[in-house]
Amino acid sequence: MSRPGSTRWRWEWVLNQAPILLFAVVVVGFGLLSPAFLRPVNAMNILIQTSSTGILAVGMTFVLLTAGVDLSVGSIMFVAAAVGGKLAVSGFPVAGVIAVMAGIGIVYGSVNALFITRFAVLAFVVTLATRYFGRGLGLRITETRAMNLPEEFYALGATKIAGLPLPVLIFGMVAILAHVVLTRTPFGRHVYAVGADADAARKAGIRTKGVLFAVYGICGVSAAMAAVVALSQAPAVSPGFGNNREFLAIAAAVLGGTSLFGGRGAVLPGTVLGAVLIQTIENGLTILNVNSYLYPLITSGVIFLAVLLDATRCRILARVGRRRIYVETPPEDGPGDP
Amino acid sequence: MAPLAPGFATLGNLQTLLAYLLPLLVAAVGLTLVLVIGGMDLSVTSTIALASVVGGKVMSAEDGWLAGSPWAVPVGVLGMLATGAVLGAMNGVAVAVCRIPAFIATLTSMMFLSGLAIWITLSRKIGGLPPSFLVLGQNLWMAAAIAGVAAGVAHLALSRTVYGRWLYAVGQNARAAWVSGVPVVWVTFGTYVASGVFAALSAVLFTAVLETGNPEMARDNLLDVIGAVVIGGTSLFGGKGSVAGTFFGVVFLALVDNSLNLLGLTYYTILMVKGGVILGAALVDSARNRFAGGAG
Amino acid sequence: MNPILRFTKISKSFFGVKVLREVSFDVPMGRTVGIVGENGAGKSTLMNILGGNLAPDTGAMAFEGRPYAPSAPGDAARAGIGFVHQELNLFPNLSIAENLFLNRFPRRSRWWPVVDRRRMLDGARELLKEVRLPHSPDTPVERLSAGERQLVEVAKALGSNARLIILDEPTTSLTAFEAARLFDIMARLRQRDIALLYISHNLGDVRRLCDEIVILRDGAVVGQGTPDALAVERLIALMVGREIAGLYPPRPGRPGEQVILEVSGVSQPGVLRSAHFELRAGEILGVSGLMGAGRSELARILFGLDPCAAGTVRLDGRSLSGLSPRERIALGLAFLTEDRRGDGLSTEGTIADNLTSVVLPRLVRGPLGWLDARRSREGVKRLREAVGLTPTAADAQAVKTLSGGNQQKVVLAKWLWNEPKVFILDEPTRGIDVGAKYEIYRLIGELAARGAGVLVISSEVEELIGICDRILVMRRGEIRDCVERGEFDRERILKSALHGEAVP
Repeated sequence: MSRPGSTRWRWEWVLNQAPILLFAVVVVGFGLLSPAFLRPVNAMNILIQTSSTGILAVGMTFVLLTAGVDLSVGSIMFVAAAVGGKLAVSGFPVAGVIAVMAGIGIVYGSVNALFITRFAVLAFVVTLATRYFGRGLGLRITETRAMNLPEEFYALGATKIAGLPLPVLIFGMVAILAHVVLTRTPFGRHVYAVGADADAARKAGIRTKGVLFAVYGICGVSAAMAAVVALSQAPAVSPGFGNNREFLAIAAAVLGGTSLFGGRGAVLPGTVLGAVLIQTIENGLTILNVNSYLYPLITSGVIFLAVLLDATRCRILARVGRRRIYVETPPEDGPGDP
Repeated sequence: MAPLAPGFATLGNLQTLLAYLLPLLVAAVGLTLVLVIGGMDLSVTSTIALASVVGGKVMSAEDGWLAGSPWAVPVGVLGMLATGAVLGAMNGVAVAVCRIPAFIATLTSMMFLSGLAIWITLSRKIGGLPPSFLVLGQNLWMAAAIAGVAAGVAHLALSRTVYGRWLYAVGQNARAAWVSGVPVVWVTFGTYVASGVFAALSAVLFTAVLETGNPEMARDNLLDVIGAVVIGGTSLFGGKGSVAGTFFGVVFLALVDNSLNLLGLTYYTILMVKGGVILGAALVDSARNRFAGGAG
Repeated sequence: MNPILRFTKISKSFFGVKVLREVSFDVPMGRTVGIVGENGAGKSTLMNILGGNLAPDTGAMAFEGRPYAPSAPGDAARAGIGFVHQELNLFPNLSIAENLFLNRFPRRSRWWPVVDRRRMLDGARELLKEVRLPHSPDTPVERLSAGERQLVEVAKALGSNARLIILDEPTTSLTAFEAARLFDIMARLRQRDIALLYISHNLGDVRRLCDEIVILRDGAVVGQGTPDALAVERLIALMVGREIAGLYPPRPGRPGEQVILEVSGVSQPGVLRSAHFELRAGEILGVSGLMGAGRSELARILFGLDPCAAGTVRLDGRSLSGLSPRERIALGLAFLTEDRRGDGLSTEGTIADNLTSVVLPRLVRGPLGWLDARRSREGVKRLREAVGLTPTAADAQAVKTLSGGNQQKVVLAKWLWNEPKVFILDEPTRGIDVGAKYEIYRLIGELAARGAGVLVISSEVEELIGICDRILVMRRGEIRDCVERGEFDRERILKSALHGEAVP
């Protein structure tokens, strides 16, 4: 938009890279305060801790891209974990348990999708309702008691393949798969089109309802996978399992530049970066031994800073991008140039 | 269903019903204003929690700032309301001036404020509130009068004054409103302040009912509040909604909750039925819209 | 020659109101057919039926000799019918190539559902060449101008191998240059034997471009013929259903001497260069120029919507520098925007909401902001009568249900309550039909007669010549010429708009 090298251009560049720069600032900051933070082991720790929320956020990204929202993901996690836990406790093989949990995610997402597409109820309201329902259902299944899972689950979390812990591996695969689907397949591009303008998409011959159905299904199955990964790290299903996770997932996606109004955003780096950033802050605070009461304050402060930068960027880009009628005969771009 | 539950029509149950309904109503009314301008306030319940903590810190006889002073209650209540106004003003600046999308701006303030409330109290509840304050929670007629006046003022402001019209104008089309000379930034800012004050007033009632300043107050009620407003016919896209609708939404939700409790159902069944009922209400609404909207 | 498309007795009603009555006509193979008619004549309903968005109550269509009954929007494209809509159906967040191939992405293979980018980009390049758009197919559509987007739409229709392309008001948002390019491409399409259905309010364009013109009124075909047989006056008479004495109403007053708006040296880098002019009470001052010459930007700066780096604007001798739109309104400024749906109306709001939106603070009784409902009702009634708004709509009816002409009357009316001293009108008649245009010209004349200064921005030179006392011509952010009534000359104005030098 403006010439490379000019002051304005530099500012635009800074604002466009805001999430990555913010991430770098956080990493460097913690690194200076504590060398332990920068050890590769810790980087891997951060990825392990991110994986469950990260997978959830990737699924949420699909929904947000269509200008929808899924408030029920925390409940999906809970129901899937409750059923999976029951089966595991009764001696079901782990692979079978995971398959059943994935199935629950798909079914749950499909129920959301059914009400949203077939009966034209707002996604916010539908998933709010199924959020209550799912929480209730999960509590009923677990009889509102915490449930400890067999050792196998813990072994799952400790498994390493090619040096990578299984949770990280699953997270990485989910992210790459989602990225390819969104950027390279017809379906993925239709998701963006539906998010930009559902009516125009319908007129362009896209099967809008099919796309919506699929994104809620994908979100559901991601939530189930997030539950599997969470269980592999802490093999217990408490009555609060997954509660309020939806807000964390939304925050991660938005931090990564996904718009709540649909049509804009990406999984890589986008959502993944957002999820990792949130976890990095928490991890850094733990290493620095900061009073744990301060975690939410600092985390939300950084998120706020990120969205503030993003809003500023949008405003500046809108101003810069306003139509030029003629090209100014260029005086040198002075330092005072806005 | 509701009136058939045994014990529904007793005075004791009315007390229980009101104790849940009134704070919810006040918070929901504030949120209605925000939704009318096409905004969102996810920080309602954390504002309630923080205001409750502030009230406790000021009034508590144990280690309150004004423990034992005759000024404790008036200063405490005013302090709570002022807390709400300040928090609302912060949201207002973020949304109206910094132009951060309301959903995400108030989502971060939700996380921040509830973290702050917990940090201040180190997650302990604050007891020992002065009896002259707790009267509000025991004599629910007084609480009902306060909530009624608050809702009535909001109703009249929304339906009969220039401010109300401005809210709808901003919610329907903010750009067109600006071109027509509506002070959009001030209207938006003021609406978030109002929402904060209503949340704080809700905290006053809640705190009196629960008899403690509680950093986790209303933590699980956020979606109840939003749900009640939406069931009451207020649009999430702005420009549509009324206090009367919200009143019915709150009453509906409170009755469902209350009668399910009376029927002796377990907590989880209540949650499930509540979800089903919200969905049912939304389905009826959607069917009605489609019928009335037609092909036009 | 066989018709490529045949409408046979198509009828459609909404809630008992007939919007189409037994419409029958043919589109011959490889020809261009124009459809004209006032808003509400049934053009868009007919196109919605053709596109598969609506089903006719009775009647049938045949495409290429076979019965054609689309049940979904995709059916039209599959049959070989392409649409170029007035409100573009492109996705700004996707690239040009993705927009072109949105519903038929080439895949790597049947079993591997990944877009074959090479094939897609090659195909897109081919199509862009056809419409002479020199952009990379990877360019996001949001970076394109309105005219370029229109060409992408045409390319999309070509890409789906359309044998019939419907162009629905394609020129409303195009610059003269872009429109000329579009007409050029239309001519080339005709050479390739592609039939075109051209819908427009610009009767001159329709007569120039079409082989045959179909006139719709109240949902029925009321005339059909070649452009030679249908002069503009005849077309208008058929569209309106009566003879109109002239296109422009007589002017009731003359401009006064007192300067009411004084613009000196108003500049904004990249947008507007040192604009100077005066507007007198009772004067109608036109602003001509191509799209993108800076006319709307001038209007927005005058009204305080966009920033202004230098210069002063005085209203009645009072400087407006630094005042918000709200304060300017209070001083007597009014602004009818070119973007009716975006800036002008709450389409979801009621007629009464919109009419009172400007004057709300004046309807207040007492210090609490209480609204005087009676005064509001009376005012709404008065305004509706003043602009001749359709009496069938209730005050509480949503504005989105009104026709374009009536919506524009609502925007105009909401400013009249204030008795503005200076009224800036940006494209006041865009996209509205002949009858409503006449009404709006009449209102503009009345405003001036009552002593207001009126600034009219328009892309239609004839319109400015018809109603203005003086016309400014802008080009690339500068006022290049100023023509007085009496010296009005279409050619001179166009020449100045295309390459005029700055007025000293």
